[in-house]
Amino acid sequence: MKSFVAALAFAVVAAVGVAMVLNTIQEPSSVAFTTTGARVGDPGHNLIGPS
Amino acid sequence: MPGSLSILKLAMLRPLLAALALLFVFAQPATAQISFKPTAEAVQEDKLLNALKEGDKISGRVSIPDGNAANLIQPAGRDWRDFHRSKLPWIGGISILGMIAVLAIFLMVRGRIRVQHGFSGRTILRFSSFERFVHWLTASCFIVLALSGLNVSFGRILILPLFGPDAFAAMSAWAKLAHNYLAFPFMLGVAIMFLIWIKNNIPGKLDIEWIKQGGGLLSNGRHPPAKRFNAGQKGIFWIVVIGGTLMSVSGWFLLFPYLPGNVTALQLWTVTHAVIAMLFIAVMLAHIYIGSVGMEGAFDAMGTGEVDLNWAQEHHALWVQEEQAKAGTAADRPARAVPAE
Repeated sequence: MKSFVAALAFAVVAAVGVAMVLNTIQEPSSVAFTTTGARVGDPGHNLIGPS
Repeated sequence: MPGSLSILKLAMLRPLLAALALLFVFAQPATAQISFKPTAEAVQEDKLLNALKEGDKISGRVSIPDGNAANLIQPAGRDWRDFHRSKLPWIGGISILGMIAVLAIFLMVRGRIRVQHGFSGRTILRFSSFERFVHWLTASCFIVLALSGLNVSFGRILILPLFGPDAFAAMSAWAKLAHNYLAFPFMLGVAIMFLIWIKNNIPGKLDIEWIKQGGGLLSNGRHPPAKRFNAGQKGIFWIVVIGGTLMSVSGWFLLFPYLPGNVTALQLWTVTHAVIAMLFIAVMLAHIYIGSVGMEGAFDAMGTGEVDLNWAQEHHALWVQEEQAKAGTAADRPARAVPAE
């Protein structure tokens, strides 16, 4: 039971950790796939936005 | 006479000129019609698309950093979409529901596989806490990955009508996040399982005999000898390692879709990911069945880590002998030699 609970906890921690690392090292799509001339200040929450 | 000859020639030319005039009258609108008739153009476009071979694309030119955005039309995408919408649900439905049906029939016909000599009350350590940790890490991630993945293929058909669009959209968004990020501990779990169990999962002659006897699953009282893992468990191990690796590689390309380089390769990886996932889920259902409902005493191996000695002797007789020999050897040593369990 301890191994099971520890595995669940580790899975959650690892998943959150990976999400944070990827969010840090990757650029948002609104930045990565636009040139500076076409970049908008607040892309909002649509397909090109942060989410 | 010259005058009458000219009149004659003119008379002969009139019908010819009239015919030419008529030709221009009728021919001009016809030419205009071909140039601008949209249905005629659509037919030509269809021929063009059909003439493009697998992987060919009609591309334009873009100045934004995403070079793939230059692809305007990729006819192979229609086949890919057709596969996901029509063929994949059939592959998944048949393999998963088929496996559930087979297991249900097996349970009805064979019943639960009991410990033939009953529980002895004495146990032997089968899996260490670390091995169980790795197993449950991989298994728990797999269950979430499987359910969230099945939602991609079947959610629109099965869950959307039940939950409604808002709840389904919210659930699918969270499921996608869970799928993307729990993939990493799953990949880690598969890698560690490979490293810690490879030495016990090399196929050998003993496995052929085990397979010939059907693993003793089909008849009461017959248990072909096996070491730590029998041929069935070795099969599961290699399916997890190979299937897990293919899922990881293909999933990696889906997580980072610019790695494959082009949309055709990405489509290939999505198909690979989806088909292997369906088969993987079906096989794991059999693994879950035999490790819980299907065989008495089997769950303890991954539950507490200790299995009943009678269970171990029936299903892994050679492994028990090896462990007892080790324990005996260790007991013969002075002072620090203490059997693990």
